[in-house]
Amino acid sequence: MTNSIGEFDEADLFFVTGTNTTAQHPLIGSRIINAKERGATLILVDPREIQLARFADIHLRHNIGTDVAVLNGIMHIIIAEGLYDREYVETRTEGFDALKQSVSRYTPRVVEQLSGIPAADLERAARVYAGTEKAMLLYAMGITQHATGTDNVKSCANLAMLTGHVGRESTGVNPLRGQNNVQGACDMGALPNVYSGYQPVGDAAVREKFEAAWRVEGLDDTVVLTIPGMMDAARSGDLKALYVMGENPMMSDPDRSHIELALRNLDFLVVQDIFLSETAALADVVLPAASFAERAGTYTNSERRVQLSFKAVDPPGEARADWDIISEVATRAGYPMHYGSSGDILREINALTPSYGGITPERLAGGYGLQWPCPDVEHPGTVYLHKDRFAKGLGTFLPCEFRPLAEVPDEEYDFLLTTGRISHHFHTGTMTRRTSVLEREAPRPCFEIHPADAARLSIGNGEMAELSTRRGSIRLRAEVTERVPRKVVFSTFHYREAPVNVLTNPAYDPVAKIPEFKGCAVKIRRCS
Amino acid sequence: MKSLAREKLVPLLAEWATEYDVIAPLKSEQGDIVVGAFDEGAFTLDYGKPALSAKSACLPQSEITFTVREGNYRGVIPETKTLLFGIRPCDMMGMLQTTSFMTRDQEDFYYRTRRDGTLIAVMACPGPQNETCFCTTVSSGPWAERGYDLQFYDLGDSFLVEAGSEAGERLLGVTAFTGVDETEARRRIASFREAAEERIAEVPDVTRAMETMGEGMVDSEIWDYFGDKCLACGGCAFVCPTCTCFNVYDQVTEPGGGLRLRAWDACLYGGLTREASGHNPRPTQASRIRRRYEHKFLWFNKADTQGGLSGCVGCGRCSDYCPVHIGALEVTRAIAAGSWPGRTEATVRR
Repeated sequence: MTNSIGEFDEADLFFVTGTNTTAQHPLIGSRIINAKERGATLILVDPREIQLARFADIHLRHNIGTDVAVLNGIMHIIIAEGLYDREYVETRTEGFDALKQSVSRYTPRVVEQLSGIPAADLERAARVYAGTEKAMLLYAMGITQHATGTDNVKSCANLAMLTGHVGRESTGVNPLRGQNNVQGACDMGALPNVYSGYQPVGDAAVREKFEAAWRVEGLDDTVVLTIPGMMDAARSGDLKALYVMGENPMMSDPDRSHIELALRNLDFLVVQDIFLSETAALADVVLPAASFAERAGTYTNSERRVQLSFKAVDPPGEARADWDIISEVATRAGYPMHYGSSGDILREINALTPSYGGITPERLAGGYGLQWPCPDVEHPGTVYLHKDRFAKGLGTFLPCEFRPLAEVPDEEYDFLLTTGRISHHFHTGTMTRRTSVLEREAPRPCFEIHPADAARLSIGNGEMAELSTRRGSIRLRAEVTERVPRKVVFSTFHYREAPVNVLTNPAYDPVAKIPEFKGCAVKIRRCS
Repeated sequence: MKSLAREKLVPLLAEWATEYDVIAPLKSEQGDIVVGAFDEGAFTLDYGKPALSAKSACLPQSEITFTVREGNYRGVIPETKTLLFGIRPCDMMGMLQTTSFMTRDQEDFYYRTRRDGTLIAVMACPGPQNETCFCTTVSSGPWAERGYDLQFYDLGDSFLVEAGSEAGERLLGVTAFTGVDETEARRRIASFREAAEERIAEVPDVTRAMETMGEGMVDSEIWDYFGDKCLACGGCAFVCPTCTCFNVYDQVTEPGGGLRLRAWDACLYGGLTREASGHNPRPTQASRIRRRYEHKFLWFNKADTQGGLSGCVGCGRCSDYCPVHIGALEVTRAIAAGSWPGRTEATVRR
């Protein structure tokens, strides 16, 4: 997030797209609801009638996968009507002419045809967003989990820069992170191309710094595989061994049968987790990890805030903290790695990661966390990013052209399946499905279908139906609801008894390698 | 009636802690107020209204009720010797009401056993702990009328301490307490109470809303308004001193063995009332919120109110902690006024 969560309370407008905020980030969602009551404006771009739709001043229910067209259309209106922030564009950005040229083709009529959003609604949204001083744009997986995910994100950034809506209090671009520490995992370089703090592996000076600190030579400078690449390499036999920590690809990666073949084809699979997940069940070695309450450390949340977490109880059996397991594996593999505590590791992070330089264990103990960038111990942390200048200097407009979903409905597979989460379960359910009240609240896999479609297929509320894509079939109970538009069905990836990743399409964004979980073609039939 | 010099309180609690599990307000390193096992270094008297009520002393967030091992059942009898220090009068009223509910006709063994093993020292309130306190409206404070073993009145340099039970009298027997002139002490307590009562404003909306609910005159759109906002987190029920719903579930710990547990539940969750057929008599969030507030202000059992006005004890915690401001104060205000904030076009349209 370029802003902080507290800044929601001062914003005058929220442009919310691809996030079911009250279900997945309820405390952020609550701030939006409260802001509505003090008079803020809510523009919602979401195909589903989510809880926030009840509060939206403008709800644009676009066809799934047309985000770039919608965002370009809004920019077209803003430029054509002269509503963009000229001073901001001239002093803070570059590449405006190319953007103007690119979005000029996305007239309200064209966008209406692509997205299904009435031209008048699009114009209203464009005018209100451009005309409001403190406007926060929010997005989550509805924007990113597409084969055009990177383009979708760039388009969000283009829109915010065009209107001068980045780099001020309560004004910015805010991707909401889906897990308590996914920001921290990325910050720590759990990515193939960077060390901690996004220091590139290809940068010789960076490599030398890490080589000196770790007393090694010849750290690899090549960018290697992302998860989909690993799965492909495992299946082809090029990848021999895989060490999976706290991840359950058997449930969370698209095209489950491909994932299972890939994992079974490995010579050696290690899984480190707190429960025996579907992936761990395939492993040669399972390393039991301690849960959050059984270890100390830090988490970095969506607003870049690093916070201490304390150990409440001892881990059961042979379970140990992840860092402790990794240290011992490294030591036994011939590289002695010894830390006394998670605090020792944070001190190493402070020394090697400029943006975390001042986020020391001592400072964290005295308060409620620090937000990076925080380069030294005198620095108070950063509430919002890109004040006065962008981290890279000028903000570059990166125009994108609309590209349709990788797999669009046709005569046989005539529905669009979109996937997401519900309030009561977290990801692949390894934890929440073991929690009695949560499991009682949502015990069965369901899919949402519009009443008109359900009637046509003779599927009653609560009845079983079979959903099939080119990759496989699962059976689920129908929840007949107008929450979804016609010809769209929605389901979740929480249930091992009906894993929706049997169905989802392994089409990936070419840059970020994120799969297109948000749309694939599916056919539906009633189970007799 | 006895007096206790302020500086003797911590040594006294430390002494009690050798005999009882003393549960007392503590201040964490970061300044948060928590209630937990007495610790001399962390103990604080500057605790206002702790986030959680005292109910977990007798109805823990989760507890094991029996175990199964190799096919044999073994009941778990809670062994409790607890002294709750410093609970507020509203929480005392909450515990009286909860105890009545949990034991009046059907005795809940686990609750009863824990309650019997718990001594209570109430700290009378000198005024509102924050802006959501409304004990004077529902007759639950600012001092406790009964239920306590000891009740402390903070006079600055010292506390006046009254006993409310034989066990309380015994607690007063240690040398730390000194005798007082009974008439003078009564006079000081009376003026303490009078000043406290004056400082805690009554909230006429609460009684007005109770009348409106009694007359069946609540505009049902009010429930829709709150239902639209509710995130269904259940936090209001967890912080509430009189919410007692629990869920019963099993945990398999080994082949042929496991635990039967119960844990706090909330009527804001759809599954609490969903029937085996899938039918739910409370099908919407609006109907669940309505049920919750009608239970507190309309359909509570008079036999359980224990001198209070309603099934709500006026602690204000639901108003303190609901992230979207659905608390007793907001709900009764909306009912009393017949209007509510942010009544948007969208709400009206629906």
